[in-house]
Amino acid sequence: MAMRQTPLTCSGHTRPVVDLAFSGITPYGYFLISACKDGKPMLRQGDTGDWIGTFLGHKGAVWGATLNKDATKAATAAADFTAKVWDAVSGDELMTLAHKHIVKTVDFTQDSNYLLTGGQDKLLRIYDLNKPEAEPKEISGHTSGIKKALWCSEDKQILSADDKTVRLWDHATMTEVKSLNFNMSVSSMEYIPEGEILVITYGRSIAFHSAVSLDPIKSFEAPATINSASLHPEKEFLVAGGEDFKLYKYDYNSGEELESYKGHFGPIHCVRFSPDGELYASGSEDGTLRLWQTVVGKTYGLWKCVLP
Amino acid sequence: MQTPPTGPVPVPVPVPVLRLPRGPDGLSRGFAPDARGALPKPQVPQSPGSPVAPESLESREQQARATLRERYLRSLLAMVGHQVSFTLHEGVHVTARFGATDLDVANFYVLQLQTPIGVQAEALLRCSDIIAYTFKP
Repeated sequence: MAMRQTPLTCSGHTRPVVDLAFSGITPYGYFLISACKDGKPMLRQGDTGDWIGTFLGHKGAVWGATLNKDATKAATAAADFTAKVWDAVSGDELMTLAHKHIVKTVDFTQDSNYLLTGGQDKLLRIYDLNKPEAEPKEISGHTSGIKKALWCSEDKQILSADDKTVRLWDHATMTEVKSLNFNMSVSSMEYIPEGEILVITYGRSIAFHSAVSLDPIKSFEAPATINSASLHPEKEFLVAGGEDFKLYKYDYNSGEELESYKGHFGPIHCVRFSPDGELYASGSEDGTLRLWQTVVGKTYGLWKCVLP
Repeated sequence: MQTPPTGPVPVPVPVPVLRLPRGPDGLSRGFAPDARGALPKPQVPQSPGSPVAPESLESREQQARATLRERYLRSLLAMVGHQVSFTLHEGVHVTARFGATDLDVANFYVLQLQTPIGVQAEALLRCSDIIAYTFKP
């Protein structure tokens, strides 16, 4: 019996969802945080999409959101010129980190001791979360606003993307190691630690590079402008979404388009696989998050396989 | 002559779901205290001879909150049928006849909504879009 994908729609946001991130797998399952232009990022149970809580405090659109590995802390980047660190269990605000312009991206190190931020002031900042009063270390060099910044290579290096470049920095020396130039705007970046793979999207391209050397591995072209893509943990599939409101699933090895789904009522801004690879989440201009099964018809989370 | 079809075309069945994901409750910011093994609130130790101070402070606060809420709900009742001026985002002002609100005060049902682009006979105003409203009873 052929089964059709049933996406699970998570409502609650009232403006476009611009970023989302999963935590690692914890004893309580895994969690999902969504960044929204309504200024109210939300925490959800990762496998069901059930709302857990809303982080209240930002006074502007939230452009980036992330969870630490064990989902005990959350961090958000907002248009109110601050990044905030939150207790993800109680929902309380722990720290407000003032910046000089819109903050777009935040990322915790593996041990949750440091927070990396980047934004429109073109500076990368590293905050020691155990010394919140101390000034952050700053790395300059970008010539346009930073859209995404990520720790990589066991937090020994930093990857950052601005409008048309992706740069690799050494954490210890705070200097640029290598850079990639694009003639189109980079829309998203994802780092896969196992295998040190960097996923970059620009125009209709989904490109895979080594996170260590930035050398290209492969790239695929989609039928429409892609805003975000994610590689499955087992590197069998990748999913991508963008301006035509559709989600595409490709075979990573062959590049063959396997599935595509309509469902969102606006462009897709972000898409990520869950840490166990069983589902992927998409965030859209239409204000919703949708959860999609990797293997359609499997019993998992709220999806229930019913045999005839 | 038309060739007869070889057999019925299988219609893909949507994957069944147990329920839809739960959304925000519209009342609180969430983070239920019993989730993720949070520690229970420590009991306030009562020393002998001291009055039951913490308890009555809490109940006085609760009483004040209940009174304020009752006043607000009564103000909504008083607004029914009256012309209300709403201040929305981006400096937009609209007026309308107030009809009703929903359980969570998340939406206002209004009639004859005067907007910069015309009059809407019936409309739902999202409370999160309203900065302030005023009316004369």
